[in-house]
Amino acid sequence: MQRDVGSLPLAPALRARLVAAGFQTAQEVLETGPCGLSKDSLLSPEFWLQCTTALGSFENLIVSSRNIEIGISKEEALEALQVVRQECHSDATRTAGAPGTSRKCTALELLEQEQAQGFIITFCSALDNVLGGGVQLTKITEICGAPGVGKTQLCMQLAVDVQIPECFGGLAGEAVFIDTEGSFMVDRVVDIAAACVQHCQLIAEAHQEEDHLKALETFSLESILSHIYYFRCRDYTELLAEVYLLPDFLSEHSKVRLVVIDGIAFPFRHDFEDLSLRTRLLNGLAQQLIIIANDHKAAVVLTNQMTTRIGQSQSTLVPALGESWGHAATVRLIFHWDNNQRLATLYKSPSQKESTIPYHITPHGFRDVQPPAVTQNPEGTEMNPRKRLRREEEK
Amino acid sequence: MAAKKLRRARLSQELCERLSRHQITTCQDFLCLSLLDLMKVTGQSYGNVQKLLCKVSLACAPKMQTAYEMKVRRAVNPSSAFLSTSLHGLDKVLHGGVPCGSLTEITSPPGCGKTQFCIMMSVLATLPISMGGLNGAVIYIDTESAFSAERLVEIAGNRFPAYFDSDEKLFSMTCSVYLYRELTCGSVLKRIKSLEEEIISKKVKLIIIDSVASVVRKEFDTKLQGNLTERSNFLARGASLLKYLAEEFSIPVILTNQITTRLSNGPAIQADLVSPADDLSLSEVLDSSLQSHPLVRLPKNRLESSRILLEICLAGASGGRKRESGCVTAALGNTWSHSVNTRLILQYHDLPTRQIRVAKSPVAPFSTFFYTIEKSGFVLQETDSE
Repeated sequence: MQRDVGSLPLAPALRARLVAAGFQTAQEVLETGPCGLSKDSLLSPEFWLQCTTALGSFENLIVSSRNIEIGISKEEALEALQVVRQECHSDATRTAGAPGTSRKCTALELLEQEQAQGFIITFCSALDNVLGGGVQLTKITEICGAPGVGKTQLCMQLAVDVQIPECFGGLAGEAVFIDTEGSFMVDRVVDIAAACVQHCQLIAEAHQEEDHLKALETFSLESILSHIYYFRCRDYTELLAEVYLLPDFLSEHSKVRLVVIDGIAFPFRHDFEDLSLRTRLLNGLAQQLIIIANDHKAAVVLTNQMTTRIGQSQSTLVPALGESWGHAATVRLIFHWDNNQRLATLYKSPSQKESTIPYHITPHGFRDVQPPAVTQNPEGTEMNPRKRLRREEEK
Repeated sequence: MAAKKLRRARLSQELCERLSRHQITTCQDFLCLSLLDLMKVTGQSYGNVQKLLCKVSLACAPKMQTAYEMKVRRAVNPSSAFLSTSLHGLDKVLHGGVPCGSLTEITSPPGCGKTQFCIMMSVLATLPISMGGLNGAVIYIDTESAFSAERLVEIAGNRFPAYFDSDEKLFSMTCSVYLYRELTCGSVLKRIKSLEEEIISKKVKLIIIDSVASVVRKEFDTKLQGNLTERSNFLARGASLLKYLAEEFSIPVILTNQITTRLSNGPAIQADLVSPADDLSLSEVLDSSLQSHPLVRLPKNRLESSRILLEICLAGASGGRKRESGCVTAALGNTWSHSVNTRLILQYHDLPTRQIRVAKSPVAPFSTFFYTIEKSGFVLQETDSE
């Protein structure tokens, strides 16, 4: 209530007028009422002085007072009052500790929430273990890697895996795929989705339970593809515009649980002379994505490129977009090569240990590396038998 | 999209005029400002500014499509998804051939057959759809003056003798290949920018640039300061323009690149060995400076030689400044490797056999095929791929 008038989210000109008319706190504004406001701002002596000097003489002022708006009209005053009232109301509830607008809760509530939350599995059990179960919801996960190492493959795999029905251990969600590099291949997603459906069918056959078979009716190739919402952003302006519109889109499509931005680095890495603008835009993007992840209980997955940093004694590959971008993501994975084996390293995580695991990209998608002695699995289940057992336990 | 004027984003006239006084005329300028700046510049309240932001974003944002719609569109027109290379094994592994709508790069040491491959693809693109072609024209941007029309006719006549049985057919095929000789980076970029209208008017179905690396490496000496960023900017701009053309018209774009031997007396750029497929072992050493290095006569085994090359690099890194170190990779750097979607590497094997390797592809695993170059172009040998 004692809020300073200068800090209210009104139009700057209106704010200036209120301050010039002598209002100092929001309380005063609310007490005056719309008619008083419009009259009062007329009566400020400073205003008269300004206007007379501008118009040359007092007579001119009287003549033109009908044509110029010196003060504010009653409608404007009413609008301003409504804004002020809303601000003060939300301020009050915040200080009183009422639920609804506040984001405060105890750690116990958070723990319960986190344990009940699902993960998006990657079909590579080693990677899921390293991540603590899979890609977490409400967090931003960043995948960095050299070209050709499998970042887009993992993104496509996650876009399919988020749709697995709940009875099979998935989230039954939908996915938004924002592509800036043009590397999304529909044929590949078809392959991955077909393998996933086949895998679920095998589980259903092994268990023969009602809800499994019912879920399988809706979990088909067509439905998987229809629930991947694809946006192709050609430059950073389109990307910024799309992220501004994303909250509205997610409110309309409330089942979306995954937002993938494939190639956050690409539009920002060339043609940017003003590096401080780039940092500001990236920070703004990161903030908006965090808000989206929290509000809509979705996982945000970004892919980043690697760049060569020339140091004094050697040059190393580091994630692109600079040091400050490293703070944006909560979880960071780096994919790299070792001879002929692809490796994934968990580089930054609030709850898991740093470790490296090997993985494979098969015609069916993102998978574990098969240990040499493994039993003959039927076609389509190219995963560790251990993985299937774990799913049964989860159920 | 970024240069879209605010007027067209359905903002009111007086608002546009007010914004133009602050030099904000395009959507890009508008979206780059923070909310407080926008309040100051438009004179509106916080809530109103957010509504304006939504309006401008709606004007700029891309349309949504589901993956299913994309699949249906491709299924309706299957021939428009790939350009078959007429090399059976390669086509199978690539799920049809050179993909439409994305950039494909051919890299190799000199003399392995990049230009021959490009000429062969030009012939294939002009063939009718029933024969696996795209029934369209070809734009060939030649920066090395290596294109030979006689060879084009020879390949066509020998590869498809049944189709090109009359001079008339050969003549009409050669009429559909448009050759542009560009010798500087600036002119290449200008040519790419002008391609949009040409594609529509001439019904172009394939763009070939042979080669990107030669013109870039001529002009940008990366040892000079500032040149590295300028080079990356040029490459990135070129890549995004080509990607836009490829996607908009659903046509394949083929680019050729060279390989580089990075020798330096100082820090070894081992970081550029980003993948084992990118690191090329030369069984026939063509670069004389590398020839003098004692460790260079390498075994043919790819793994063995990549290990030794890595040792060369590491030796350079740890051994201090005096040692020479060398790495053999595709030219044009890391950022360029991110921009191309498919990468094919041609290499020498046992002359006259050479090998073609799929090094980067969203649909294909690493595979190798052996070929020879004959009168009819590339001929695959029927051996097992790796």
